[in-house]
Amino acid sequence: MPVKDSGDYIIVVENISKTFPDGVKALVDFSTRIHRGEVVVVIGPSGSGKSTFLRCLNGLEEIDSGAITIDGIALNDHKKSRLEIRKEVGMVFQQFNLFPHMTVLENISLAQRRVRKKSKEQARDMSMDLLKKVGIAEKADNYPGQLSGGQQQRVAIARALAMMPKVMLFDEATSALDPEMIGEVLDVMKALASEGMTMICVTHEMGFAREVSDRVIFMEDGKIIEAGTAEHFFSAPAEDRTRLFLSQIL
Amino acid sequence: MTASYLSRRTSLWHRIYRSPIFDIVQFTLLVFAVVWFFSSSTEKMGYNWQWYQIPKYIFTHDENGYAAGPLWEGLMVTLRISGISLVLAFIIGLGTALFRLSQSFVARTIARVYLEAIRNTPLLIQLFFIYFVLGPVLGINRMTSAVLALSLFEGAYTSEIFRSGIVSIRRGQWEAAYSLGLSGFDTYLYIILPQAVRRVLPPLTSQAISLIKDSALVSTIAIYDLTMQAQALIAETFLTFELWFTVAGMYLIITATLSVIVNYMEYRFKVSD
Ligand SMILES: Nc1ncnc2c1ncn2[C@@H]1O[C@H](COP(=O)(O)OP(=O)(O)OP(=O)(O)O)[C@@H](O)[C@H]1O
Ligand SMILES: [Mg+2]
Repeated sequence: MPVKDSGDYIIVVENISKTFPDGVKALVDFSTRIHRGEVVVVIGPSGSGKSTFLRCLNGLEEIDSGAITIDGIALNDHKKSRLEIRKEVGMVFQQFNLFPHMTVLENISLAQRRVRKKSKEQARDMSMDLLKKVGIAEKADNYPGQLSGGQQQRVAIARALAMMPKVMLFDEATSALDPEMIGEVLDVMKALASEGMTMICVTHEMGFAREVSDRVIFMEDGKIIEAGTAEHFFSAPAEDRTRLFLSQIL
Repeated sequence: MTASYLSRRTSLWHRIYRSPIFDIVQFTLLVFAVVWFFSSSTEKMGYNWQWYQIPKYIFTHDENGYAAGPLWEGLMVTLRISGISLVLAFIIGLGTALFRLSQSFVARTIARVYLEAIRNTPLLIQLFFIYFVLGPVLGINRMTSAVLALSLFEGAYTSEIFRSGIVSIRRGQWEAAYSLGLSGFDTYLYIILPQAVRRVLPPLTSQAISLIKDSALVSTIAIYDLTMQAQALIAETFLTFELWFTVAGMYLIITATLSVIVNYMEYRFKVSD
């Protein structure tokens, strides 16, 4: 694991729990700390609470107890802290969730203009730069429905990046894609990782984990079972449950 | 090649079949059948058709040029009342829908009370209540009473349409907007409403058509709309059949035009998602 200043945690999660109204315990006394610039991959069986963890980090789900601090801002009930965190934490969804009635350019520019209060020109310049970065500048004036899944997901990444977030969350960003399109999205994510973005990625792409992640967290039933480098998981996972899970996905 | 040609043909046929134009054609044929039925039976009745009398009630032409007849004036009143009420009904409907979906208990309760009150009483009673009870109290005139009654009544139904459109938008759209830091207001304005409104254009059109038809009720408080003018003319001239056919035709032209415009808009602004 790269050496990092132990005091420089951008995300601090302390003993959070989340129980859904129907009684499902999605997160149980969950704690972790994430360094600035760290790339964390979260794996685990379906229903283990991976999405819930990510969604708690940007306030999409309320936590029942515990504390979340992101870049020094405590995520609590205050509308202001919540807004601050929403602005600083970008999220990419499995289903892209692009706005279908807006062009690609409008999708990427909207929040810059409405939240960051940029001028139309500034927003457009930034959007075009981001589109070039994700490799689909020529699709700026298309509607999402005219794009392939891989292209849509790259637009979704560009849209999140347009807010200049300090943290990016990826919830199974490649799971809804046809196999031939997974690579192009992973490449964008890898480039982002190498630029020093703090990233938490729920994914079962172990190749990606091995190549760019600093840490892999295996979770089950709302708890961390085991955490370590990708190498650790490939060579010597300590827990039986981890071994069983890895044997299923690899 | 052939397959795609065929499927294009079916889809075109489908579009025609499902478009309001098809309904209008059907309806027109039906009207002709009814007219034929009437003319043949009124002949036996000995009814003396005097269609030539009708045009002068729409327009008169003399040395000073064209002048509007009573039916045309009535049509204008109907259009004015319907137009203003339509705009108000959409505003009230949207507001009520947002109230119903809001976090605030008070807002939700206000919306519920309004909806229950409007939907469980007849429009005619609401119109009378506003004109005869609220009118003198608030000092509002005939026209305002009519517009108020119509927009409150149709607003209640419109709100359900807006609400269904809003709740039909997938949760992911809200979540994407939320995670970009957009405010609730911006989320509605830029993300949810544009998509919701496009989805509910067909039922909104039906509601607009209902409003135009329901506006005939304002004749009961002696507003000289299309219906009232017709009643007055019939009392004077006894051209019962001709005038009612003409008036029905005029309503049909308004509503059909509206359908065609909306149909075109729907086609223009179609979103694939
Ligand atoms: N909105 C909700 N209401 C009730 N239960 C929920 C809700 N969202 C998630 N859950 C439950 O919480 C548990 C954790 O769900 P979560 O979506 O976090 O799992 P996951 O690890 O992301 O699974 P997957 O790999 O299938 O995406 C599951 O048992 C799920 O059924
Ligand atoms: Mg999930």
